[in-house]
Amino acid sequence: MLDALVTGLITGNTYALIALGISLIFGVADLINFAHGSVFAAGAMVGWWLGADLGWPLWAAAAGAVAVTVALGLLIERLALRPLVGGPPIAPLLSTVAIGLILDRGLELVFGPETRRFPSALATGNFRVGGIRFGTLDLVILATSLIGMGALWLFLRRSRLGWAVRATAQDRDAARQMGVNVEGVQGLSFALASGLAGVGGVLVGMYYGNIEPSIGFDAGISGFTAAVLGGLGSLPGAVVGGLLLGVAESLGVTWFGGSTRQLVSFAVLIGVLWLRPNGLLGAAGALREPLTGTFAGGGAALRVRPWQVALGAALALGVLPLVANPYQLQVATLVAIYALLALSLTLVAGTAGQVSLGQAGFFAIGAYAAGLLTTDGGWGFWPALLAAGVVAAILGPIVIAPALRLRGHYVSIATLGIGAMVAAVILNWEDLTYGPLGIFGIPPPTFFGREIVAPRDTFWLASAVLLVGAGLVWRLQRSQLGLAWRGVRDDEVAARSVGVDLASSKALAFAVGAFLSGLAGSLLAHQFTYIAPDTFGFQVSLLALTVVVLGGMSNILGAILAAAVLVGAPELFRPLQDVRILAYGLILLLLVRFRPQGLLGVR
Amino acid sequence: MDTKPTRTIDRRRFVQGAAALPVAGLLAARRGRAGVAAQGEPVRFGVSGPLSGNSAEYGRIWQRAMDLARDEINAAGGIAGRPLELAYEDTQSDPKQSVPVAQKFVGDAGILAELGDFASPASMAASPIYERGGLVQFGFTNSHPDFTKGGEHMFSTTLSQVQDAAFLAKTAFERVGKKQAVLYRNTDWGKITQGLYVSALEELGGEVVAVESYLENERDFRTLLTKVRDAQPEVVTLISYYTDGALLAQQAPQAGLTAKLVANGACNSPQFLELGGPATEGVVTTTVFFPGDPRPEAQAFVGAYRERYQLEPDSFGALAYDGVKILAWAAERGGFEREGIRQALAEGTDIPSVVYGPFRFAEDRRVENAAMVPIQVKGGAFAAFA
Repeated sequence: MLDALVTGLITGNTYALIALGISLIFGVADLINFAHGSVFAAGAMVGWWLGADLGWPLWAAAAGAVAVTVALGLLIERLALRPLVGGPPIAPLLSTVAIGLILDRGLELVFGPETRRFPSALATGNFRVGGIRFGTLDLVILATSLIGMGALWLFLRRSRLGWAVRATAQDRDAARQMGVNVEGVQGLSFALASGLAGVGGVLVGMYYGNIEPSIGFDAGISGFTAAVLGGLGSLPGAVVGGLLLGVAESLGVTWFGGSTRQLVSFAVLIGVLWLRPNGLLGAAGALREPLTGTFAGGGAALRVRPWQVALGAALALGVLPLVANPYQLQVATLVAIYALLALSLTLVAGTAGQVSLGQAGFFAIGAYAAGLLTTDGGWGFWPALLAAGVVAAILGPIVIAPALRLRGHYVSIATLGIGAMVAAVILNWEDLTYGPLGIFGIPPPTFFGREIVAPRDTFWLASAVLLVGAGLVWRLQRSQLGLAWRGVRDDEVAARSVGVDLASSKALAFAVGAFLSGLAGSLLAHQFTYIAPDTFGFQVSLLALTVVVLGGMSNILGAILAAAVLVGAPELFRPLQDVRILAYGLILLLLVRFRPQGLLGVR
Repeated sequence: MDTKPTRTIDRRRFVQGAAALPVAGLLAARRGRAGVAAQGEPVRFGVSGPLSGNSAEYGRIWQRAMDLARDEINAAGGIAGRPLELAYEDTQSDPKQSVPVAQKFVGDAGILAELGDFASPASMAASPIYERGGLVQFGFTNSHPDFTKGGEHMFSTTLSQVQDAAFLAKTAFERVGKKQAVLYRNTDWGKITQGLYVSALEELGGEVVAVESYLENERDFRTLLTKVRDAQPEVVTLISYYTDGALLAQQAPQAGLTAKLVANGACNSPQFLELGGPATEGVVTTTVFFPGDPRPEAQAFVGAYRERYQLEPDSFGALAYDGVKILAWAAERGGFEREGIRQALAEGTDIPSVVYGPFRFAEDRRVENAAMVPIQVKGGAFAAFA
């Protein structure tokens, strides 16, 4: 028990260091920076190159890593955020996703994908508490977190520049009117946060012992969880959140086994947010503008006339299957499936304003329901399709309940946690789901006794279901209910004052969204014929959100078009080989830069 | 006086020249790669694998080993005089990408067989397409028991987990220690191997004091190792890939765990030694292939790999190399047709390979009677376990 506590503190220590930078950026730019983990990875890789490969002393290697990450931070602020100021608040998030992709692939190209040893320049086993050894390295990490926290606190409270940072965080426009160089302040906080990520990369890289260019993603997620746990924008909260998360995971692993680590960490997160919607040490704070909705600036929606829609649909359904080859039709089928998944979010995030990062959870529920019913249950394709939607629609609002009373970024992080928990439950509930073995041999769909396996037929099937889904979303958006959802999105207080029940409206939006995700999951399960927990990782949720944001939040056609771009582009770029994913990230970045309101605009 | 202007280099020409250089180089490389001896219509195999993303390091190993096999074949005159080409497609081992790639390969009449993908979700989602398209899917890393049940076009040279786990259990039980704890990577592969290992060990009369799983992206094992330490095993068996295996070996002493370590064959990689450092000394594992293997076909491969890349090959590399060579062998016997290749693999009796020596595929399209040897880390290298 003591040993579990000690190892938990040692692990939590590393989370705290990563969480500090994330919390700082949250506080100043009001942004989930998805590139932060990648900056951390850049720090680790550069630190390894200078320290382990070139043999520089630790301080010099750390300084070099910090120089690189500070430059990266400034670059991210300059390229991804500054041009989007005044645009829809959700656009910068997408921008950081793109930068993260580019950075990860860039590191892989520069350093090679291999895992490599990062020998610690500091002792790692020279102290002992109970049965656990730890070292100078762990103390240095703790000291860095505490000094970083203290120095930042002093800077923010005591220096004029620090006041400017806080003023900007509180009210951007007011700060600007008082003569604060708002852009400069934002750049400064990015530089500081990224510099911390650089030191963190070197120290935590040595703590891991082995690193590879893709370590950033998981580290970033742990950092987010810790930052949210402590309260966004609160620096002591980041440290406390990190340590608490480490201890909780350690106890969870001790009691329930290693595979439950994620389950435990997200359960703790959701539990804390349930009791304290602003995190442990977060201030309730002034209400911020909603992430979506009428405050969104920039660009009216493109007007698409009904005949144009009809023509487009006729071309896609009538002509495409005749001229495209099976490979292209296969891609088009996946586009339709992911478009359907995205439509679920068009309703939840676009219309009702709940920016969910957990749609993969409902997708997985639908896929598993369909997979289990058609294999173990012996059901036919069509009843199982409907059942997949219904099961997801019933389970959806239940699992999402803890997120209903949250607002803003907390909704995103809570839903991220819930999505990950669904995947973790599927992994651990072996009696029902076969755990890591997955479900094998899911039969192909049938239509009046005929198997639907030819690419043209699967495309027609997926498009037909997509059309039904799109019709449902279209109808709902124009209903009384849609009006209530938009009210919740645009102004919760006003909506409540005219009698809209917030929790049940949101729950209903999630239920309809989960129904559509469930249908998409069923189509995917029958298309792949084999599904495993890995099929529904966080990347799938992120892709769904990316599609919706790129399409223009509540825009149905936009979501379908964006799905075609985002699922199609990696295939289209195949001739580029090594730089394929780099090009994909770049296109995403450029699209956000020049269409921050989405391809077809917010409606 | 000669009025012919000297050939000046202006800016435009300089840029043109600079741009042309790499192109020319590429073209030359292409030509060189095709070899001099091999003529005629190229024979093409598709490769669907993780060339970028989280599993990219395995994709890199594949690419090295496969390029080596292809160039050896072409330097020796190709396959019955026809040059071999490999069409690499990156899927990041993601089913969303491996499925379209399968359709692409199937639709390309020039592709005669396919290698990959890496992880089961990516491979098995693509299987129905290969099966319907009549294209051999050679999943040389796919140990999932259902992989070759996907159809008669699915072949695998990776070890069947039944054999693998049973032999490891026997070795560990008889030669390392009887009171064991088992740690496994919680994926389809780890789960199955763990189940087989534990039942084999208990059948032999061993005592299993703890069985613990961990997530595949785990890096911090200190808590888990502390828990295992408290169960007081004589031996800790790691059912791990080399990346997590190396971290487990490193972190075990920090958790105060001093039991002897036994590792699954997937840890048989020079990278395991590199990443784990001195902590891997004495680790026992079993394998079908290791660089010190004295058989001539193994030494020829190790020598060629070492010379070209200045690196030691591991079993992933050996399996990838074999994959290309085996398909080339089958293409020649099968008359350069998809169906012929399948038939040659199914019916061949002495299929040449580095990993197994001459072998045949059993009814389940996996290697029949694969022989294994125990090895141990000694002085920072794998050596026969004496």
